[in-house]
Amino acid sequence: MSLQPIRAPKELGSVDYYTSGHRTCAGCGPAIGYRLATKAAGPKTVLLGPTGCMYVANGHQFLTSPYAVPWFHTQLGGGGAAGIGTAAAFRALISKGKRRREEVNVLVYGGDGGFADIGYAGLSMALTYDYQRLLYILYDNESYANTGIQASSTTPWGATTTFTPTGKVKRIGNERMKKNVALTIAAHPGVRYVATSALYPPMDLANKVRKALNSGGPAFIQVLTPCPKGWFFDPKHTITLSRLAVETGAWALWEYEEGTFSLTYKPPKRRGLRDYMRMQGRFTHLSDEDIERLDRMIEEQWKLWLESDRQGRLILPWTPPPTPL
Amino acid sequence: MSAVTARPVQTLIPKTKIWTGTRAIAEAVKIADVDVIAAYPIRPYTGVMNELARMISDGEFSAEIIVADSEHSQFEIAKHASAVGARTFVGSSGVGLLYAAEAITVTALAQLPVVALAGCRALDDPGNFGMEWNDTLVFRDFGWLVSWAKDAQEALDMTLVAYRVSEDRRVLLPHFVAVDGAAITHIASPVTPPDERIEGFLPPYKPPYPLDPEYGPVTKAQHIAPSLIGPEQRKVVDASMKRSREVIEEAWRDFSRRVERSYPPFLESAYMDDAELAIVTMGAYTKDAVYVAKKLRGRGERVGVVRLRYWRPYPAQELRESLEDVKGIAVLDFSYSFGSPDMGGAFYNELRAALCEASQKPLILDFLFAGGREPNVGHFEKAVEITKRAVKRGRPDRLVYWLTLRGEDI
Repeated sequence: MSLQPIRAPKELGSVDYYTSGHRTCAGCGPAIGYRLATKAAGPKTVLLGPTGCMYVANGHQFLTSPYAVPWFHTQLGGGGAAGIGTAAAFRALISKGKRRREEVNVLVYGGDGGFADIGYAGLSMALTYDYQRLLYILYDNESYANTGIQASSTTPWGATTTFTPTGKVKRIGNERMKKNVALTIAAHPGVRYVATSALYPPMDLANKVRKALNSGGPAFIQVLTPCPKGWFFDPKHTITLSRLAVETGAWALWEYEEGTFSLTYKPPKRRGLRDYMRMQGRFTHLSDEDIERLDRMIEEQWKLWLESDRQGRLILPWTPPPTPL
Repeated sequence: MSAVTARPVQTLIPKTKIWTGTRAIAEAVKIADVDVIAAYPIRPYTGVMNELARMISDGEFSAEIIVADSEHSQFEIAKHASAVGARTFVGSSGVGLLYAAEAITVTALAQLPVVALAGCRALDDPGNFGMEWNDTLVFRDFGWLVSWAKDAQEALDMTLVAYRVSEDRRVLLPHFVAVDGAAITHIASPVTPPDERIEGFLPPYKPPYPLDPEYGPVTKAQHIAPSLIGPEQRKVVDASMKRSREVIEEAWRDFSRRVERSYPPFLESAYMDDAELAIVTMGAYTKDAVYVAKKLRGRGERVGVVRLRYWRPYPAQELRESLEDVKGIAVLDFSYSFGSPDMGGAFYNELRAALCEASQKPLILDFLFAGGREPNVGHFEKAVEITKRAVKRGRPDRLVYWLTLRGEDI
C-alpha cells in the first residue's frame, strides 16, 4: 500500500513510534529526525540502530524503550548488512509461505560514523540489491557525538572537534571537506530514491521518508540534524539552525528519483553563511575572511546545484577547497 | 505463520555419493530448508557457497542468497535475518573469520541460532593455504557452540544436528561446524545423505521474540547499565551453554535413529579400552591417528585414540573419564598460542586445564603442527614414540614438539 504525502503536521497523526523513554540531550536533532521519520513510516516497520547517539542515548539505565515498533541494535559498521539481512528474511519467509504476505518497512537509522565511515562499504553493498521498503537514513550530526565529538568524514571544514582541535600551530580545526554521502549513493544504479533532508522545512523529512518507502527499491536519505553538544549552540536553536543551514545554502535539499534530479528547496535569496556559522561554537575560531571564503565556495556550488535542477541531471558540485591561511 | 515443510521426500535419495566436504554441507543446508544465506569468498570454505549458489540457481531449493561486501557484513546479515525468524547459513575461513569477529561475538550474545561453517585455514601473514585451527579456536570464548567434523559425512550430519541444537529453546546459541581446510573441504569421499526418515528431525525455527511487527514491539540489545543486568545477561548465555549438553545428546540420539550411523555425542574413541598411551586430537587427521594406533597395536603397544567432536561445550568430564587410566597423552595439535603456558597450543592447554581436575594426571605432550605444513603418519608415530619414552623415564625432555619444523626446534 502506498504511503500518502503529508501537507500539514496533523496529517502525520498523533501516534508516535519513537516516543518517551530515551535520554538524548535537550534539543537533540537526530531524536527529532527519528520521531518524524518513524511517524512517517508507521506501525508496519522494523527499526535497526547502528551504534551511535541514537543507540547509546536511546538506551536507558532503567531498561525503558523509546520504540513502539520492533527495534534491534546493529554494530557500528553493520547498518547496511542489518537492513539487508532483515529485508531478506521477510522476503524469504513470505515467499516460502512461512509468514503472512505483507509489506514491512525496514528502516535503518544510522549516524555519519556508521554510514559515512566504518559502515560505508556495507551501505554501498546493501544499495546494490533490490529489496523494497528498505530505507537507510543517515542522521548527519557531523561528528561522532556520542563518544565526545570526534571528527567524522562528514564533519565540515573548519569545525573544532576533540580529534581536530585548534591549537598553537593548527588554526583551522578540521581540514577535511565534508563528504556528501548522498551524492555517492546516487551513483548506485539499484537505488530508486536518494535525497538530502533537514529538520526544516517542517514536513520535508516525513514526505521524503514516504517517497523513499514507496519507491519500489532500496532508498537513502541523508538528513542534517543539528547537535547542540557537538556544534556548541543553545538547545532551543536546533530548528533555527536547520533552517539557517538550508537558507544559507550550506546544506542543499534535493532528491534523485529514478535518475531525475531536483532541488526540493531553492532559497529565494540565499542568506550569508555568517548567520549560520556564527551561531555555532565550533566555528568561533574562524575569521571573517574564512567564512567569506566558504561563502564564496557555496556560491559556486549553488550555480552547479541550480544547473543540475534545470537539467534534471546530477552534476557533481565540485569546487576547490578553501585554503587555510 | 505456517509450519516449515521439509523438502519433498522423493528428492532425498538414500544412496552413497562421492562428495567433497563443502558439497556435503551444502546438501545439509538444502535439507534444512535454510531461508537466508550470506556469502563472501575466501578459501577453503568458499566451495560451500559455490554449491549453494548453484543449487539456488537451478531451483533445487529456495533461499535468499546475499553476496556481502565483507565477512563482517556476512555475519551481520545472518544475525539479523535470524532475529526475524529465518533459518540462516554463513561461513568463512582464516582471516575472514577474524574480520567478522565483532559480528560473530554479538550473534552469540544476542542469542541467535546462526549456523556457520568454519573451514579451518592458517592465518595471515604471510598468506597461507595450509590448515591450522587458530582461526576457529579464537572463538572459544564467544558463546558459540563449536563442533569438529572428521570427514565429509560427519560434516553433513553435524550441520543438520547444529540447526537442531542451536534452535532449541534451551540453547538458542549460534553454532560453528568446523572442518579442516583442504582435507575435508576439498577432498571427495563417500557420503550417504539421509533418507526420508530425516523428516521431522528439524522442527520449524521459531524465535521466542521475533523482530517482526506482527509479533509486537520487541526492543532487542539496547544499551544497558552494567549495574542493572550486566552479569545476568552473561549468565543467560552461560546457562544456555550448560543446557546445550543435554540437547546435543538428545539430538545425536535422535539423529542416529534416523540414519544408519551412530555417533557418540562428545568423544569418539578407538582402542581405548586398555590403552596406556592415548593420542588426543580433532578433525580429519583422526583417521591417520587411528591408523597409527592400529599399527602399533599390531606390535603389542597399548595405544588408543580420543577425538573431540565438540570444542564448545568442551567435554571436560568425558575426557577425564576416557583418559583416566592412561599414562601418557600425545596431543596432535594444529593450533598455537604464542607465549602461552609452556608455549603450547590452545588445544593442548585446554586439555591440560580439563585434566587438572582428573584423579590421576598423565604426562601430556604437545605435538604442534603450526604453519600449515602437512604432517604424515610418520610424524604421528614419532609423537607416540616420544610420549612412550617420556612415560618410561617418568619425565619428559620437553613438553612441546614442533615435528614438522625444519631445522632446530629451539
